[in-house]
Amino acid sequence: MSIMKMIIQIVRIVSIQPLVSMLLAFGLLSFSDLSSPELSAAESVVVYSGRAERLIKPVLDHFEQTTGTTVQLLTAGSTELVNRLRAEKARTPADVFITNEAGALELARSLHLLQPITLPEVAMAIPEHFRAPDNSWIGLSGRMWVIVYNTKTVDPSSIHSLLDLAAPSWKGKLAIPTANSEYLQAGASMVLAAKGEKTAKNFLEGIRDNAGNEVYGKNRQIVDAVAKGKVSVGIVNHYYIFRHLAKDPEAPIAPLITDQDKDGMGSIMNVAGIGLTAHTKHLSPAKELIAFLISPTGQEMFAQINKEYPVNPAVNADPAVPPASSFRASTIPLTRLAELREPIIHMIQDLGLR
Amino acid sequence: MVRHIQLTPLSLLGVSIALLLTFPLFYVAFSAVTGDLSQASNLWNTRLPELITNTISLALGVSIATLTLGVSTAWIITRYQFWGRAFWDWGFVLPLAIPSFVLAYVYTFLLDRGGPVEQTWQWLTGSDAHIPSPYSFTGALVVMTLNTFPYVYLLARAAFQNFNLSFEEASQATGATRWETFYRVSLPLIRPALVASMFLVVLYVVSDFGAVSLLRFQTFTYAIYQQITGRFDYQSAALLSLLLVSFALVFLFAERWFRKQSRFYQTSGRVRTATPKSCSLARGLAINLFFFVIFSAAFGVPVILLIQWTLTALAEGEVGTSFGTYIGNSVFLSATAATVALALGTPLAYLASRFPSKLHIACLQGAYIGYVLPGPVAALALLMLFTDMIPLLYGTVFVLILAYLIHYLPAGLQAMESALQQVNPNLEEAARNLGAKGIRTFRQITFPLVRKGFSAAWLLMFLLCMKELPATLLLRPIGFDTLAVRIWLEASEELYQLAAPPALLIVILSIPAVFLLSKKNWQAG
Repeated sequence: MSIMKMIIQIVRIVSIQPLVSMLLAFGLLSFSDLSSPELSAAESVVVYSGRAERLIKPVLDHFEQTTGTTVQLLTAGSTELVNRLRAEKARTPADVFITNEAGALELARSLHLLQPITLPEVAMAIPEHFRAPDNSWIGLSGRMWVIVYNTKTVDPSSIHSLLDLAAPSWKGKLAIPTANSEYLQAGASMVLAAKGEKTAKNFLEGIRDNAGNEVYGKNRQIVDAVAKGKVSVGIVNHYYIFRHLAKDPEAPIAPLITDQDKDGMGSIMNVAGIGLTAHTKHLSPAKELIAFLISPTGQEMFAQINKEYPVNPAVNADPAVPPASSFRASTIPLTRLAELREPIIHMIQDLGLR
Repeated sequence: MVRHIQLTPLSLLGVSIALLLTFPLFYVAFSAVTGDLSQASNLWNTRLPELITNTISLALGVSIATLTLGVSTAWIITRYQFWGRAFWDWGFVLPLAIPSFVLAYVYTFLLDRGGPVEQTWQWLTGSDAHIPSPYSFTGALVVMTLNTFPYVYLLARAAFQNFNLSFEEASQATGATRWETFYRVSLPLIRPALVASMFLVVLYVVSDFGAVSLLRFQTFTYAIYQQITGRFDYQSAALLSLLLVSFALVFLFAERWFRKQSRFYQTSGRVRTATPKSCSLARGLAINLFFFVIFSAAFGVPVILLIQWTLTALAEGEVGTSFGTYIGNSVFLSATAATVALALGTPLAYLASRFPSKLHIACLQGAYIGYVLPGPVAALALLMLFTDMIPLLYGTVFVLILAYLIHYLPAGLQAMESALQQVNPNLEEAARNLGAKGIRTFRQITFPLVRKGFSAAWLLMFLLCMKELPATLLLRPIGFDTLAVRIWLEASEELYQLAAPPALLIVILSIPAVFLLSKKNWQAG
């Protein structure tokens, strides 16, 4: 128990001579400043990431091992990190910014926090609608906002559209993400863009009333609630369903891709992506990292580990998920997400979603 | 006692410390009232009623519950002799080693639908009835109560132990019953301790971020964090903070007032304290059962679960090699912050108790504000300040430590102030009359007398810093994750096994501090 001893020792020092220990502490402080990582290491990349660490770390680790470039990762919320970048301005230590959806990236771009990624691979590897017009950010992997339903209690043919879930018949049977979920905001923005304000409002009001207390901070929890039969349906990103099924193949859950009618809005596809910060001090390793993430190797890792849709058309999705050619995705440009962010947050807040 | 005050160097020091600590409040107030105020009415119509009701009812509920638990346990332990007493004596302090968000995440597992508690309940009653969801007022009340009642216990126990029995005897000699004596003599006598502990508990509840966000119970602090991290304007967050701080100020003055009403000095040097009475076997068993239930809920079960999850994580090889770094980061940050806090708090507490001019009292009150200035807001204000004005220090641990100081100095200050008040000012005056200068008097007379109280303050602040979450999340330099941050990142994904090793480590690291804390005879008022 050397730590215990250490603490007792510190206490003893403090209670005898506060000045001495203060000096000691400041000594340690300055020492730690000098040794803080961002001042050293030429070949290193600082990554701000709004994605769950366990989804992105394996890919970054692979990059680190193959190139020898050190990756320093700071995990927080996507929106929170935009705020941080905005506050840090030119002094930001971040070289790249990874998010779980396109809205935050587009917002960072509109705030001049990103710079165009000038890599020849980008144009070839990534379809135009999955990146910013000036390539300030690019999508890395696609995720569909779909319905997860309990196969024991729900007849999938009764649901044609995401908007159906707002009907009173789903009261007490629906689980949704919390009001500050970036997925909910992005999904509702898509509805707003495709169907207008009135429909979007009705949809949000309906799912608010139907969900009641079944409001979850994490997609995983929604899938879990559906699998356990706590609720019949939920709205989540598609890969959470397949990840649950990979662990528990017997779980009575399935994804439902909706809005495929001729005049339907199409399924809601968003991307997790990456942006190059305007004030990066490590341009070449940062670009190297981006190049790796869109290369077939990186893209395959997203497909395999995360069951997401690779944005690079050369790479296939995991065989467990429906192939990208089997459904029609919404054609609304992802850049709209950022414009609609404030209006949709206001709407969500005004309607009192939790 | 010196009443009229000229601006001494010490005074100036006190003022500058207070300014340093209150700056974030000014910043928040400034950004709340500048700019577009249409947000305010919007907030008023949509969020505020719910937030006010939730916050106040949680604070009130937890106060009542912790008072009941804390005073009853402290009373039984100081007044009765029974088998197991020595264990419970310090055992009830152990829950302080568990951060609120760890307890919350354990309870989301325990109380969740289809979880262990519900299954047991349904098995016992043979019904299909559901228990209340942890994601509710009940969940927050249970977790916060179990997490904070040791504060009441500690202070009430100290008060009961230092309690001059003569008062009770006098009461009983004049014909009062035991209950009357307890109610009319004993309780009023420990009132300063109760008020001080309520102060700690309420502020803890109101500024807690981790537990309420895992339990998704909308309080002010949680709403503020959501505003900061989920939105692109800070004005709403600033407005909410300003409101919260205003409430807190009212509360602060009320507490001051109470304390002024009830200041006691021992009149003679000798105090006769109570000796525990032995009690029957049956009563001893009943006490043990009562204590066992409380202890299991607040500490036993959570720790057993953490150990079990940690073993699973270890067996599956999911514990990385970076743990040493996280431990180092946590201990280093907390020890430094607590030490600096002690150095900064001493002048403030000393000035306010020895030279209670309006200015000095204001400085002390100012320092207290940080406790209710929610961690996230203080953090954000510091982030902006440092990037704008002192970029050199930005991104270093310095900023994070400053946030800790602002947020947790008040907790230590409370204990430091109490310790200083216990020292009879006549002693210091005598030293000064004999020609000793201020600093010498403090070093040779005051400091030795308050050393224990100050150590307790240091420990308390160390412990709180170890568990700090929102400011660490927002301000941590890259590669400076603490144990608390690791727990948060894993627990918010509901990865119980992955969150368990750092959680268990925080508990283990905190236990020695908690243990020493329970040994201290720290008094309030």
